[in-house]
Amino acid sequence: MNYVRNPELIERLAAEYALGTLRGPARLRFARLARENAATARAVREWEDRLGPMSVAVREVRPHRRVWKVIQARLPDAGGVWDSLAFWRNLGLVASGCAAALLVTFVLRDPRFAPVPVEKIPAPSAQMQPAYVAVLSDKAGKVVLLAYADRHSDELWLKPNEMQSIDSAKQVFELWGLPKEPGGAPRSLGLIPPREKPTIKLAAAADQTLSDFPALAVSLEPAGGSKTGLPTGPVLYSGPCLKFW
Amino acid sequence: MADPAAQNEALKQLLAACGRRDSAAFGRLYEATSPKLFGVAMRILRREDWAEEVLQDCYVNIWNHASKYSAALSAPMTWMTSIVRNRCLDWLRRPNLEVVIESEEDGGNLIDAQASGDPSPLDELSRASEARALADCLARLEAKQRQAVMLAFFDGLSHSELAAHLQEPLGTVKTWVRRGLMQLKGCLGTTA
Repeated sequence: MNYVRNPELIERLAAEYALGTLRGPARLRFARLARENAATARAVREWEDRLGPMSVAVREVRPHRRVWKVIQARLPDAGGVWDSLAFWRNLGLVASGCAAALLVTFVLRDPRFAPVPVEKIPAPSAQMQPAYVAVLSDKAGKVVLLAYADRHSDELWLKPNEMQSIDSAKQVFELWGLPKEPGGAPRSLGLIPPREKPTIKLAAAADQTLSDFPALAVSLEPAGGSKTGLPTGPVLYSGPCLKFW
Repeated sequence: MADPAAQNEALKQLLAACGRRDSAAFGRLYEATSPKLFGVAMRILRREDWAEEVLQDCYVNIWNHASKYSAALSAPMTWMTSIVRNRCLDWLRRPNLEVVIESEEDGGNLIDAQASGDPSPLDELSRASEARALADCLARLEAKQRQAVMLAFFDGLSHSELAAHLQEPLGTVKTWVRRGLMQLKGCLGTTA
């Protein structure tokens, strides 16, 4: 049907759409048309404005408190991530695929990280060593830091990608491990040296130091790092830390 | 209730702050709007667990799209109510739903109780300043047209559900709805 050339039909469908009586496949088709066609979108909006005030007469019902908790847990960029376990879980699920892809694009193309040229990588189990990989993003979801450590090594290799610029005389990025337990305190893994290809010396091999942390985060601290043992400045970046076999 | 214009303005600012990823503003927006939006969802879906799920989806949506909300286009409450109503209607399209509705014996009674509930929605509408023009125009519709339009809006009834509920042929009900809507448009156009 040629909706767009028939403004009367558009008007009638927009009215029934806003009222709710347009149903089924016709509703979906019309919603798609409204996304693509400005005049249709305007007709829908006008009808929503006409009928909307009817909601005034709907009795208010306060939703149970659990509703807000679920909503908060579903908002990765709303802050308060330190105490949202569900966030880390969801992120881990999404990011494990993402991390695998980044492992190839970032790590393996960096000569430090790639024992063999990319084009010659055989099945992962044959050549790649088990390792920890963390992918940290900023609040907009842009990946800004990759961390990599062989499971037996105490050297954590970092690959920054347009991290926020700071005055390194006064400020420093500090890397934290976020524990599995909800509300558990983050543990400092070290300060990120202001270099193009920084590394952090872990307290012990990655298998001992990173295995407890499903996620890592970076906070901005005064030069010398946090004096309290906990992040004191803003948490700028965070993301899952996964063990790849 | 607070002055609607002031309330409108406050909600606009909260939405704008949400667009800047201000989670505290989002909390206040939820506090201010969730009872109404949950009421809308409960009225259409008539089941608390469904309404809760829809409400969760909608607020996540509102947060994600807050930066695209344009105050020049619609009032904040209209914008958010439309999101909730659309999500409810999507929900009612789920293929396994009819079974559930059939097993819910009091579904029909609930509609009756709410449709004839007191005070009448029309009375309530005419008391709210922002809805008075609409209430006046609804009052000018023929009773059957008005009933069909209001049942569709408040309870999310489809044409066939309206026909069953009003015990009238489908074609008749469709005509009531269509004529009711077009008369509303003409009436609102002259009073605005």
